Amino acid sequence: MRPAVSVLLLTTLTGFAYGLLAWTGVYAFLGLLPATPHFAAASTLLGLVIASLGLGASALHLGRADRAWRAFSQWRSSWLSREAVGAVLTYPVVILFLLALRWDHEGIAPRLLGAAVAIMALGTVFCTAMIYASLKPIRQWHNSHTAPDYLIYAVFSGALLFALLHAVLVGGSASIFVIVPVTAAIALLAKRAYWRHVDAQTPLASLASAIGLPKDVEVRPLDAPHFTENYVLREMGFTIARRHSARLRRLALGLAFAAPLFLTVLAGLAVAPLPATAAAVACAALGLLTERWLFFAEATHVSALYYGRAA
Amino acid sequence: MTRLPAAVPGAKRLGLVIDLDTCVGCHACAVSCKEWNSGGEAGPLPDYDPHGPKPDGVWFNRVHSYEAAGQGCSRTVNLPRSCMHCEDALCVTVCPTGASYKRAEDGIVLIDPEICIGCKLCSWACPYGAREFDEEAGVMRKCTLCVDRIYDQSLPEAEREPACVAACPSRARHFGDLGDPESRVSKLVAARGGNDLLPELGYRPTNKYLPARSATIPTASEAAEQSGGGGGVGVALLRLLDRVLSR
Repeated sequence: MRPAVSVLLLTTLTGFAYGLLAWTGVYAFLGLLPATPHFAAASTLLGLVIASLGLGASALHLGRADRAWRAFSQWRSSWLSREAVGAVLTYPVVILFLLALRWDHEGIAPRLLGAAVAIMALGTVFCTAMIYASLKPIRQWHNSHTAPDYLIYAVFSGALLFALLHAVLVGGSASIFVIVPVTAAIALLAKRAYWRHVDAQTPLASLASAIGLPKDVEVRPLDAPHFTENYVLREMGFTIARRHSARLRRLALGLAFAAPLFLTVLAGLAVAPLPATAAAVACAALGLLTERWLFFAEATHVSALYYGRAA
Repeated sequence: MTRLPAAVPGAKRLGLVIDLDTCVGCHACAVSCKEWNSGGEAGPLPDYDPHGPKPDGVWFNRVHSYEAAGQGCSRTVNLPRSCMHCEDALCVTVCPTGASYKRAEDGIVLIDPEICIGCKLCSWACPYGAREFDEEAGVMRKCTLCVDRIYDQSLPEAEREPACVAACPSRARHFGDLGDPESRVSKLVAARGGNDLLPELGYRPTNKYLPARSATIPTASEAAEQSGGGGGVGVALLRLLDRVLSR
């Protein structure tokens, strides 16, 4: 599948943003938010700004962005519509949460609204993941790894942003500096498990079954319908050299998970907490963009079979 | 609503039956489709760089040719590929706007170009690669089963069939109601063992493909024996003429 920049930005940025909102909500629910006056405001606003950037990037993917509002209508059947509804509903819930926090910092209302923020944020990430997980013609997406993986990467990258804010506004020693390395390790293992899974998959169909012959008949393309690329080939027939993908996989694991793990352990041990956490966020952003690029580039679509390409 | 209409047994399901035994891979169906749909209700169908080095554009129907291994000899399979108007059309349920829909009255899957936001998700959901994006209008396009022809009362009844079917010179394309087991196309499918493409994906396509009948090419000596010891080119030509005229 063609890795469109708009979609890479959407899924990566909303992962960071909704992860940050979710951790803010969870900390509020547990009554563990730092007492620093502007922490919750800063983290929720940062979350909303990054989420808005991601959602704005996704509008670039649309052929008719002026009609984007129509995407809120089909939430009964479409995960894309559910994602849009979840993303928009998260805004008022976050604002209510902030108002409740200002009104009554110690009360039950901000705690419950914190839980609601976390549920809305992770729910939206889940909807994003299900857009991909529900597509039957793409075996690398339509499996039991996709949805949990998107949640894990959001929880990890959000915790990392939360830690950065903590280092900036409060200081380097806190529970979040234990949480980040743990989520980084889980995310690293999840990505490796995903690659093991997709590498062991067998193709969903053969060219023979694509043209109505018994599955095991040997078939090869003779003449293509057209001699230049068309939409189907550009969008669904994207291929990546195995050599490149192996290199990029190592780069993604190192940048997205291993480097932030190491850097946040340093920060947690009070070794230059602010620069270390900031560097960890930069590494994770680049690494997760690489990881997301691979998620698309390595995904194959059954329709590419008709053109003699792998699926 | 992009939920699929409830499946009613015996409901009308319009679709195509394509005979891979007689399809000669001439692309007439694809060209006729492009011509018809470049005007009329579905038009225009864009072409990008049509006279340049990389011509490209939106087509609803694409004809592939393959070489399939057979007994003793391989054979050519020509495969016209277009929307299958599936029963379980994932392209419809993934649509966030309701632009992509399946008609309850005849099972045709259509796109409303006035509502489509061009998110391209439906094309990702289609295993047949039947949907193509219109870069100029910013919306997705697909085969309409010539919905603007098949119900057009101003056309003579014999012409109320999809342009691809009307154009086929080897009569390899048939149009009809596959929900009615007594229809001509349903009987054709039953008689010829018509099947689905990519049945393992589970989309339950309406369009059916009739498999090529197994044929063996006789060796030179067998051929001589069969033709009763020869007769020469003249007799063979007369025999061919006889077969063509008695069709």
